Amino acid sequence: MKKEIKLSEDLIKKIHNVANEIGRDIVIMEVCGTHTQTVSRSGIRKLMPKNVRLLTGPGCPVCVTAQEDIDAVIHLAKAGIPIATYGDMLRVPGFFGSLEQVRAQGAKVFSVYSVEEALALKKDYPELVFFGLGFDTTTPMTAMALKKGLTVYSTHKLFLPAMDALLSMGEIKIDGFLSPGHVSAIVGIKPYEHMNVAQVITGFETQDVLVGIYMLICQIRDGRREVENEYVRLVKQKGNPVALKMIADTFEIGDGNWRGFGIIPNSGLEVKNPKLNAKIKYKDILSKVDYSKSKKPTGCRCGEVIRGLIMPEQCPMFGKICTPEKPYGPCMVSDEGGCNTEYRYN
Amino acid sequence: MKKEKLETIELDHGGGGQKSSELISAIRNIISDKGKWKNQMDDGATLKVGNQYLVFTTDAYIVDPIFFPGGDIGKISVCGTINDLAMMGAIPQGLSLSMVIEEGFSVKDLLKISQSIQKASREAGVPIVTGDTKVLPKGKIDKIEITTAGVGLAKKIISNSGAEIGDVIITSGDLGEHTVALLSSRFNYKTKIISDSKTLNKEMQLIAKFVHSAKDPTRGGLAANIIEIAEKSKVKIVLKEELLPYKKETLAIAGLLGIDVLSFASEGRFIAAVSEKDAKKVLQILRKFNLEAKIIGKVEKGRGVFLKTVLGSLRPIEMPRGKLVPRIC
Amino acid sequence: MCLAFPGKIISINGQQATADFDGVQKDINIGLVPDIKKGEYVIVHAGFAVQQLTKQDAWEVLKEYEKGNKII
Repeated sequence: MKKEIKLSEDLIKKIHNVANEIGRDIVIMEVCGTHTQTVSRSGIRKLMPKNVRLLTGPGCPVCVTAQEDIDAVIHLAKAGIPIATYGDMLRVPGFFGSLEQVRAQGAKVFSVYSVEEALALKKDYPELVFFGLGFDTTTPMTAMALKKGLTVYSTHKLFLPAMDALLSMGEIKIDGFLSPGHVSAIVGIKPYEHMNVAQVITGFETQDVLVGIYMLICQIRDGRREVENEYVRLVKQKGNPVALKMIADTFEIGDGNWRGFGIIPNSGLEVKNPKLNAKIKYKDILSKVDYSKSKKPTGCRCGEVIRGLIMPEQCPMFGKICTPEKPYGPCMVSDEGGCNTEYRYN
Repeated sequence: MKKEKLETIELDHGGGGQKSSELISAIRNIISDKGKWKNQMDDGATLKVGNQYLVFTTDAYIVDPIFFPGGDIGKISVCGTINDLAMMGAIPQGLSLSMVIEEGFSVKDLLKISQSIQKASREAGVPIVTGDTKVLPKGKIDKIEITTAGVGLAKKIISNSGAEIGDVIITSGDLGEHTVALLSSRFNYKTKIISDSKTLNKEMQLIAKFVHSAKDPTRGGLAANIIEIAEKSKVKIVLKEELLPYKKETLAIAGLLGIDVLSFASEGRFIAAVSEKDAKKVLQILRKFNLEAKIIGKVEKGRGVFLKTVLGSLRPIEMPRGKLVPRIC
Repeated sequence: MCLAFPGKIISINGQQATADFDGVQKDINIGLVPDIKKGEYVIVHAGFAVQQLTKQDAWEVLKEYEKGNKII
């Protein structure tokens, strides 16, 4: 433990030295919600040089789930369709309430830890729909379950198009990315190379993030724009081809509806098999949902937080109307959301 | 801010977090008479009788599964109430026991639970002196619910608000293992960790005179209970990350399910604020019961509860929110 | 955005395996890492092993990086 602490202290000093050499203010985006958590929980944020700004990105699947999708699944639940969902989604408020509230009113909503539990539930509830949520790391599991006959409402998304969108929207100048370690375990390293921005694929322990930040600011200092890999122990050049094939077999790529970004082309994953695609199977129920309410601006500025445009405190509801106890928007519900992390750790 | 009008009770209301407090406040606004009793929202109420205090507490126990590694609902219903009395510095005198049972419940299981109750009662030296049982039709209650109430006598009351600046925070052993036992049962994990449920009155009696404030970190875990001590005592408490008292298996289960380990409950451990000068003596006594007893933090001037991370920065410890739900993100 | 935990494979049974996580054992699905062997390590997310974990920790990576070795 003492050795770890010394190594960390030395590395923090090195980070400060390099930041000094750079001189100007730089912006690093931690795209992954889990990176934001590590940075806040371990105290890294407070120890960073003043000219290095660590910004949270859209790597929180709960936060970027469109309100329309939440409202759609809630309508399915209200119509008597049993729903299985990862626990993360239970408390996210759509316009018509949250899955947890709908459950309290009598709807069958099951919280599962793994799709295998959903498959087991399907034996007792043949009409069960699994609320498929997550990026490239979580999609392969849903893909496996689709092969076993699970019906899915998919809000699965490919993550890299969001990084492309951030860069092309150019709303903020991003000097470098701490790229998502577990997404990369699936997709490998090559898919990042076209982005022409400094990035380091980073793991999630405190020491991973420190080393990742160090490697990244060295790139920025040197003016390099490479894809480097800190998470060597997990991320292989080719990623996980078995997982990628499974996704390709069961999903097709289309438009993705991202809260905060709107539509990002080629980022959404739709279930190929119409018999297992809840959006097609339950078209009748879903066509009756009044999505105009979903689109109404609710005052929640999650979208801008996700895009790194504002800090959570700049949202007028932050900490006053919107708290982890009574969240208004997904950034506050999810433990990985920027607003939630900011509220709890700062 | 406009407060929503509460229409139906939600699961979060039973979770021990902020929503629970709101529910209790709403009920107390209506049921507000206390007579000559005092209740500072501690574990129990107190009544001065001569030169002693009568301490009175009650708790309802519902647990799933009812049999878990290291115990069952019977054992924790006895330990929980005896411990609440002990945390206030009281010597428990007797317990009442009421059971509401679902039609169809196994008699063998009921007798097994009764044996656990007898065993725990005998180990603590606290008899079950009165009780009641009711049976509800199948489906009207989930298996069994047990309520125990306890009375104790104390010369001096240890309150949640007694922590003093300069005190150290001691734990009587590693924490969170009751929750580990429940989670490992529910999610099919195999581990040698069993519930830590046990009665604490014997060790508390030996150190009561040194204790400024004490709580057994049941619902809400270390986080909720240390925050309660800090808020009521109006002090700042700093815990050290490298001293956090959790076994590696406990941390693994917390990591696997994405649940904050600081919210894991114990049913047979306590945390206490004692003077720094008394700490060595107290630890010597406690280590006779559990070698893992140790100092985990200190009490300072100010407000709030913080964790000093391994990297040296302070971050706030938050109040756990409602029911523990596993996450994937 | 992916809560994942490292575990050691201690037995394999078709598409299922038992993994040990610091003394906690759980059955996991290894369908995504079909070539994994007993004794090897994996990262587990939502009940599934997503990739094999090899040995290089952050400090080793830093050491190589500072030597000027390109890390792939």
